[in-house]
Amino acid sequence: MDLYDLGEVSWWESQCYYHALAYLGREGLILCYPSSPYVCLGLHDDLDQEIDLEYCQRQRIPLFRRETGGGVVYLDKGQVFFQLVLRQDNSCLPLRRTRYYEQFLQPAISAYKYFGLPAKLKPPADLNAAGRKCSGNACGDIGKCTAYVGNLLVDFDYTVMSKILKVPGSQFRQYLRQTMQANMTTLKDWVNHSVGYDDLAALLVEGFKRQWGNLEARTLDDELIRKAKEIYVKTSNPEWIALPGRKHTERTIKIAEDILLLERRTGPDSSTAILLHNGKVEQMRFFGKAACFFSRADSLIGCEWHEDLLGRP
Amino acid sequence: MDLEYAIPENLYYDTHDFWIKVNGEEAVIGLSDYGQSNTGDILYLELLQAGETVGRGDKLGSVESGKWVGSLLAPLSGTILESNKDVLVHPRKVNTDAYGDGWMCRIKLRDSVEVKGLLTAQAYRKWIIEQETKEEEIG
Repeated sequence: MDLYDLGEVSWWESQCYYHALAYLGREGLILCYPSSPYVCLGLHDDLDQEIDLEYCQRQRIPLFRRETGGGVVYLDKGQVFFQLVLRQDNSCLPLRRTRYYEQFLQPAISAYKYFGLPAKLKPPADLNAAGRKCSGNACGDIGKCTAYVGNLLVDFDYTVMSKILKVPGSQFRQYLRQTMQANMTTLKDWVNHSVGYDDLAALLVEGFKRQWGNLEARTLDDELIRKAKEIYVKTSNPEWIALPGRKHTERTIKIAEDILLLERRTGPDSSTAILLHNGKVEQMRFFGKAACFFSRADSLIGCEWHEDLLGRP
Repeated sequence: MDLEYAIPENLYYDTHDFWIKVNGEEAVIGLSDYGQSNTGDILYLELLQAGETVGRGDKLGSVESGKWVGSLLAPLSGTILESNKDVLVHPRKVNTDAYGDGWMCRIKLRDSVEVKGLLTAQAYRKWIIEQETKEEEIG
């Protein structure tokens, strides 16, 4: 297996090299982190529904639409990326692609454990520690390869993440930030010294060596650089970024594998935020005029969520 | 090996796990029970629209499930006559009723000779057994 330990790269390079490997039909493992922040949409995310474009433009945060699954993520240098590209005829790759996450994420689990995080797989593709998400991951068939991509969270900017998402109002945004903070964790929460890229990359390499034997250290070659630039051109096209995708009837934000935050409009000036855990109502917050009349809230905690649970406005 | 998947005898299949019901110069296609099982709970589905043409092996659509996305590759060449609008809104129907409400597209065939390259139910069953054996080896 070829290893591209790239360290710091530009934001678009942190996405385009694994796409390039996949389109070239070349297997390889890439480790890197982006030099500047950006927003990354999943292939089927709906830009208009998901992203506060005005905020991103004002802050000059670029957008990228990857060809793997999962939802919108805010990425910056507080995260270390590991990206594995396998040919679809590789005998290690199961037909049910999500079955491979258990193996793909083992090096990340070991790296977290080294620093004291009791990380474990939350199927299909999250890692969590003490019940809080510490890594989001995705995969996709690209060309004749399948790419698995993941990250280790050294630190995470919950405030910016809550601002890049389109939400109904400032109170909802604040609640979203609090909910993310309560349900996510990073190395910074567990280690009282700074953890650098080199430490994490070395642990990831060690973990992937256990799976693939010796990894051949490679540098970027002309073919790969050329292909990555082609992909950057394609993915910078506003039409590609603005592709329509999955629509929800109500604003739905996935916080972690089993945690969703929904917004239900309860009137022209009021809305309710509903936090679901494993499909059940865990918390509710009322914003605007809804705050004064919704007296049934306590009785709904723990109930299985369905569209008519709150009634219609 | 006993298979737990439904494989109706009156349909054709291909190795991308499509079922194909040929009716003269038209065909209805969808994902087989084995295909939907390997894909997992389908969260999102995109399909070419009526009037668009597709070659055999070309991208017919795209599917997302459990943080995986992949392409749907057309089992036959032709022109899309109709895409199942209901399944685009409720993609889980592919999981729950693969051979019924979960159908995906109706196609006008460009070259009916291509049908000869499809698998019969018996051949598809044999192919699945080979795949299952490989999966067991992966562990």
